[in-house]
Amino acid sequence: MVPEGLPAALARLRAAISAADFPLALTSAAEAREVGAALVAQLDDYLLPRLARLDAPLLVVVGGSTGAGKSTLVNSLVQARVSAPGVLRPTTRAPVLVCNPADSQWFRAGDLLPGLTRTTKPSVDPHTLQLVAAPALTPGLAFLDAPDIDSVVDQNRQLAAQLLAAADLWLFVTTAARYADAVPWGLLRTARLRGTVIALVLDRVPDEAGDDVPAHLAEMLEANDLAEAPLFVLPETDVDGQGLLPDRDTAELRAWFDRLASDANARAAVVRQTLDGAVAALSPAADGLAAAADEQAAAARALRERVRAAYRGGAETVERSLKDGRLLRGEVLSRWHEFVGTGDFFRGLEARIGRLRDRITAAVTGRPQPGNQLKSAIESQLTTLLRGVAGDAAENAYTGWQAHPAGAALLEPSLARPTPDLPDRADRLVRDWQRGVLELVRQEGGDKRFVARTAAYAVNATGLAVMIAVFASTAFIPTGLEIGTAAGTTLAAQKVLEAIFGDQAIRRLAAKARQDLLDRVDDLLADEAARYFDRIEAVGVDADPGGELRAAAAEVERARSAAALTVGSKLALPQRERGELR
Amino acid sequence: MTQFMGRVREALRGNRRVDPDVLIGRLDAVRSFLDAADGHLPSERLVPAHTLVERAGGRLALSRDHTLVALAGATGSGKSSLFNALAHMHLSPVGVRRPTTGQAFACVWGAADAAGGLLDWVGVLPRNRFARESPLDGDDEAPLRGLVLLDLPDFDSVEAAHRVEVDRLLGLVDLIVWVVDPQKYGDRVVHEAYLREFHRHKDVTVVVLNQADRLSTTDLPKVLGDLRRLLEEDGLGGVPVVATAAVQDAAMVELRRLLERTVAERQAALRRLSGDVDSALARLDDLVGGPAPSDVDKATSRALADALAGVAGVPAVADATERAYRHRAGAATGWPLVKFWRKLRPDPLRRLHLHTPTVVDTGLAPADGDAPVPATTSLPDPSAAQRASLGIALRTVTDKTAGELPEPWRVAVGDAARSRLGDLPDALDKAVAGTELGVERKRAWWRAVGLLQWLLTLVAVAGLGWLVAGYIVRALGLPRFDYPMVGEVPLPTLGLLGGLAAGILLALLVKPFIRWGARRARRRAEARMRESVAEVGRDQVIAPVRAVLRDYTTARDAYAAAGPPG
Repeated sequence: MVPEGLPAALARLRAAISAADFPLALTSAAEAREVGAALVAQLDDYLLPRLARLDAPLLVVVGGSTGAGKSTLVNSLVQARVSAPGVLRPTTRAPVLVCNPADSQWFRAGDLLPGLTRTTKPSVDPHTLQLVAAPALTPGLAFLDAPDIDSVVDQNRQLAAQLLAAADLWLFVTTAARYADAVPWGLLRTARLRGTVIALVLDRVPDEAGDDVPAHLAEMLEANDLAEAPLFVLPETDVDGQGLLPDRDTAELRAWFDRLASDANARAAVVRQTLDGAVAALSPAADGLAAAADEQAAAARALRERVRAAYRGGAETVERSLKDGRLLRGEVLSRWHEFVGTGDFFRGLEARIGRLRDRITAAVTGRPQPGNQLKSAIESQLTTLLRGVAGDAAENAYTGWQAHPAGAALLEPSLARPTPDLPDRADRLVRDWQRGVLELVRQEGGDKRFVARTAAYAVNATGLAVMIAVFASTAFIPTGLEIGTAAGTTLAAQKVLEAIFGDQAIRRLAAKARQDLLDRVDDLLADEAARYFDRIEAVGVDADPGGELRAAAAEVERARSAAALTVGSKLALPQRERGELR
Repeated sequence: MTQFMGRVREALRGNRRVDPDVLIGRLDAVRSFLDAADGHLPSERLVPAHTLVERAGGRLALSRDHTLVALAGATGSGKSSLFNALAHMHLSPVGVRRPTTGQAFACVWGAADAAGGLLDWVGVLPRNRFARESPLDGDDEAPLRGLVLLDLPDFDSVEAAHRVEVDRLLGLVDLIVWVVDPQKYGDRVVHEAYLREFHRHKDVTVVVLNQADRLSTTDLPKVLGDLRRLLEEDGLGGVPVVATAAVQDAAMVELRRLLERTVAERQAALRRLSGDVDSALARLDDLVGGPAPSDVDKATSRALADALAGVAGVPAVADATERAYRHRAGAATGWPLVKFWRKLRPDPLRRLHLHTPTVVDTGLAPADGDAPVPATTSLPDPSAAQRASLGIALRTVTDKTAGELPEPWRVAVGDAARSRLGDLPDALDKAVAGTELGVERKRAWWRAVGLLQWLLTLVAVAGLGWLVAGYIVRALGLPRFDYPMVGEVPLPTLGLLGGLAAGILLALLVKPFIRWGARRARRRAEARMRESVAEVGRDQVIAPVRAVLRDYTTARDAYAAAGPPG
């Protein structure tokens, strides 16, 4: 009896849906979360328990707008005051389930709607389900009085939607004043799309409305492809002492349900039709979730890309500044001239006496050595450049995220600026790099002709020359003109540069040092960008979230066609007896 | 209890008369807020306030003797029945089919022409307008004269177009009578989409529970109590709640009284607009924060000037100035015999195309009265680090001045600081080129030393000449003449050697002075250039920022002025 494969496929889909997460604040996310929760609820509340027992009693959920008279109708149908009607809106807050005592075992077991606590006493807690046994009701059929679908109480609406999703048959109750309301029609359309079997009651029709309103409602049903649904009309009347509608008004409706209850085939057909419709509706819904999940992943990618682009722009600025020799201007160049012009450079290269004399000069005149000055000029230029670049990149990334709905939600003001300790880290980076360059010269320069063996001072001088070479880039040998315009220079300084750049060894060293500097800058910027990436990581977006959802949905669809629930039992609702209408 | 509450409410409401002048003042304040904020803030944030100003202007220009009252409600609540019952005429079609009314109907008590402009403004079709004034009534309807009653379409039916029309009309009317019925009074759409939106319009809101005749006398107070509770949750606690039944004249009396009172007060339009101003201000709330600093602080301007000086190449020019001073001073005071060497070297300032235009007093004012435009300099392009430091300085300006402002204003300040970034290099170049560096003029002491050098050289040459003359005389065997002796040394020799030695000594002696003077010239030039560059910063960066800050302050003051009186 129970179709093979389908429960397993549904369980897989359920797992996939509950695993799907929509953490980024996209417009589709809130809806997807809601849909996902509703699907999981429907699977737990209805599909899985119903599949387990196809022969369980038919559950009729009485739903509709607030004030439509649902409770009064249920009371009248079972000929007992089981649900309290009232004039205050909304009236019913906790659902009431009425069934024949013979069927109550199944409903009490709690397979169906497992989230609701069973109780036998009237309750106002929306998480309970009050079970009432009504001997007057034919076995095989149960009525569930649901809360309204459109009142101000949010909980009611959610609960009503949950209960409607668990209905084998939805008895939709509306009134002459309400039948054109927008909210219930939205639900009706959803139910039709899902294949739920629907019956309608037009309640509280005043005398003057006559046949006009039912006729109009029938037109509207036709227009909405719901002409198949049986429509019952109840006039606006006073209730009797028991709070029940007069017998003659409800007789037709009761008779119809009696016939449905006693016809096992018809009941089974209703169950299978609704079940099949509900399972069939899962697949498109899951696809929708998959699309929303893919959108999340795409948004996360887009956000990452924006950050990456911003910081890549920063790295490119640094690279360009090195390439076009822009860093070799101003301060650095004049210090270089001093360094070369004072003869420090050559002395440094050639002898140690120079060092001693320079120390003495420095001590006497109080002036720092030109070599050190050059070094610190390089340091301050690079540090400023790095700070500026990191600042621009942070700002660009921030604006990029701000323009993205999901990004704006992840931002915090501090991201717009570089990390507070960036100046320190930039300083350290530059000093580390300079040390690295000296190290490089020491290692590789041992046999080069202008590096006097093991002379630390010579290493320093060569190191500085290498740094200058890095600043001027290896692809570009500064001409006399280029340097001359910067600020008057001495011929010697030019010659030295030309000699340096002409030297293959220095160029190779410079290329290495340059790469080293760029790598360090990349690391620094990557650290900065990581603050952004961390925020995406923190909310957690899967790489391929839609895949499993789609696969599970496809499997459900395959299992559904294999199960062929509706084949062989055609839906044939009992015909209503016409003529008794007023 | 209810009566007591009612009296308290009356007392409170009575006090809240809206003075038209105060209202107009508040509207003007909103307008000046918008004037100040336009162009700085995202325009979509200002749309509601713009709409308000426009709408209020429209309403106040039209008849204030009329009161526009709208009947609004869900489909089937009996708006049209109520409308007809109030008018004592069958004007609006009442139907059992839902939804019924798709267009607004209007009924004017008093001369219909007088309210024509108002109804045109509201947009009620002429064929849907009715006048309620007939001699048959006598004075029965007189208390309602001035009432313009609108019957709106529903807002909860499947017809979405109805809802659009209702939303439009609800924005325009003076007083809204919300019509609910025992079936629908708890509907979500009524409360969440409509009543809650009007919680700032308490004093122009009336809620009517229609079809009260369908409830028993014991149920009616319960339902009314529940309705009041829901209204309280909507933020509408204290609004009048009236039970009516369109089919019974007696049940209409209370609503009629209420309308008569409203019409007589002629306050509804003002109260409505006043509520609108409150709503609009509430939406502008996060655009206003603490006070803005009146100006950019000193340290920040100095940092900006530093960065700009770097970009403008001030240190390079200052360097060149120092060297130019030394060059020129050397040329003027050097030992004349080796001075020509210097002439072979180029003047450092000339190399930058930066020799300041010599001020020549021709006695003729320039034709256009402007200073001559300095030529573009050949200063090197700013280094990458200098550009970066300018970026940092601009960001600091934004952070320091706008740090406490609301986010949209902070963005506006940032944009303003950067607004003339494109013009900056040119302006800086001009500023540097136009600055008098103070090394053109020859110093008096250079001349004096120069003269002395010449004198000394002259002495040396004279000494040499004398010696040579003596030598020639001796060589030719002519009677030699005696050199005057100074001590043991002949005077010409003393003149020659002394002149040469003194010249060299003098050149050496003035060297420290030249160096000192060059450093001074450098400092002075640097200070002057920094002043020019700072001026550029004030013009191109600080002035736009200051303009935004000023606008913010104006907007902030206007916001405070537009706030509810008292």
